[in-house]
Amino acid sequence: MPLSPPALELRGLTKRYDDGTSAVESFDLTVHDGAFFGLLGPNGAGKTTVISAVCNLIRVTAGEVLVFGRPAASLEARGWVGLAEQDINLDRFLTVEETLVYHGGYFGMGRDEAVVRAGEMIDIFDLRAKTRVRTPKLSGGMRRRLLLARALMHRPRLVILDEPTAGVDFELRGELWRYIERLHDAGTTILLTTHYLEEAEELCEEIALIRGGRLIARDTADGLRESYDADTLADVYVKAMAA
Amino acid sequence: MSGAQGLRWLARRETLRVTRLWTQTVLAPVVASMLFILVFGLSLGSRIREIGGLPYEVFIVPGLITMAMVQAAYNNNSSTIFQARNDRYINDVLSAPMHPWQVNLGYNVGGLVRSLAIGLALLALAVPLTGVGVEKPLVLAVAVLLGLVLFGALGTVAGIFANTFDNITFVVNIVILPLAFLGGVFYSVEMLPSPWEELSHFNPVFYLVNAVRHGFFGTSDVSVWLSLGVTAALALPAYAWSQYLFTSGRRLKA
Ligand SMILES: Nc1ncnc2c1ncn2[C@@H]1O[C@H](COP(=O)(O)OP(=O)(O)OP(=O)(O)O)[C@@H](O)[C@H]1O
Ligand SMILES: [Mg+2]
Repeated sequence: MPLSPPALELRGLTKRYDDGTSAVESFDLTVHDGAFFGLLGPNGAGKTTVISAVCNLIRVTAGEVLVFGRPAASLEARGWVGLAEQDINLDRFLTVEETLVYHGGYFGMGRDEAVVRAGEMIDIFDLRAKTRVRTPKLSGGMRRRLLLARALMHRPRLVILDEPTAGVDFELRGELWRYIERLHDAGTTILLTTHYLEEAEELCEEIALIRGGRLIARDTADGLRESYDADTLADVYVKAMAA
Repeated sequence: MSGAQGLRWLARRETLRVTRLWTQTVLAPVVASMLFILVFGLSLGSRIREIGGLPYEVFIVPGLITMAMVQAAYNNNSSTIFQARNDRYINDVLSAPMHPWQVNLGYNVGGLVRSLAIGLALLALAVPLTGVGVEKPLVLAVAVLLGLVLFGALGTVAGIFANTFDNITFVVNIVILPLAFLGGVFYSVEMLPSPWEELSHFNPVFYLVNAVRHGFFGTSDVSVWLSLGVTAALALPAYAWSQYLFTSGRRLKA
């Protein structure tokens, strides 16, 4: 069996921001193709920084980032990644449908394909009634839905969700996870950050704990519970962060 | 994956922004420039003697069209990039599979479309109103293109560096408008006393206006080759500067 390259491979990733903040320090991480992976840690731990390095959104200080074996900066790699950022960043001049179609275009889709795909995403994320509404006129939760739909629009092989369920109602939360699990079952790799530990415990096959820009532990939820002698992931988290 | 599709869609997005806001992006500058042509040209024109053998209302048309167009290129690129940075939706473009040169070019298309719409509208109004004609269309096209590249690139750079929207208008008020007014839009610099005439030759807008005027009238204060040469010598480094910012990610990426 040919060994497929990991979905994500970080080697010695280091990021110091211009103001001197050292956000991530010699960070190594491998996420296997097809994994459902959780990246957990307190505020300021460096989760968003790691993700930004994968998505060509920061200037990396040192280290290497490979996406399915290709450098993260290559066009190929970028086309394979879909990102829903923590902060909602929708183009205020575009409608819901345009947001999706233009994103598809930026990621190489032709018009007809993008329109059909946008229609699917609009149905999945229950935005049909708002198809021709511009993004500033959406409610907060609808904006989050659109942000997620945009991330999935171009059928990425690696989906990165940075706090996707912040501000999302109970109903969508359930639907969203059902849909993400279906994607995962179909072979898509999912990288998730969340502060809802029960969510992570239920969904993620593997979890990395990060604090102060360094990797503290990386294992399955079971493995973590065992090695920290804890009953729940929340207990693991508390013990790991206190250590 | 070549990024060509991405470039097309970014160009389309920038064009959509211009057409969707057309009253602000096209109509307003056309009205403002027409007011200048009417007030300065047709009312004062009867009291001002001819310049270089041309009636005053005809003489000012090329300079006014130039200024309206290059300001639109600057304003468009600076504001669209500033907004995209400020709301951070520029990340959707920066993370997309596009080469930096495609991103830079795509953002320039909006400014080009807007400027050309303004220029053509002003031409269509000024020709019947003042009787101005175009003697050398090729010179005019090259001069306008170089001017748009120069000011569009400066707009891109300003949009990338600006911390607030006021930073962008500051550059317009402190740099671009003074240079335009002193660059011979409303007069021939030959009419100025020494040393002002000589000092005008250090003003880049002077050469741009002269090149465009040469396109319209076939004559100008200085050689058309000098005018085009100086404008090109400024436009190319300005574009290279904006490209450097996209390629290196400085200020665009943390
Ligand atoms: N643009 C920036 N400039 C300077 N420092 C930054 C910048 N972005 C993040 N940081 C700093 O880098 C560190 C890591 O931030 P990061 O956003 O990666 O954390 P996080 O794990 O995503 O946190 P949260 O759970 O709050 O989202 C923090 O100390 C933060 O203040
Ligand atoms: Mg974060």
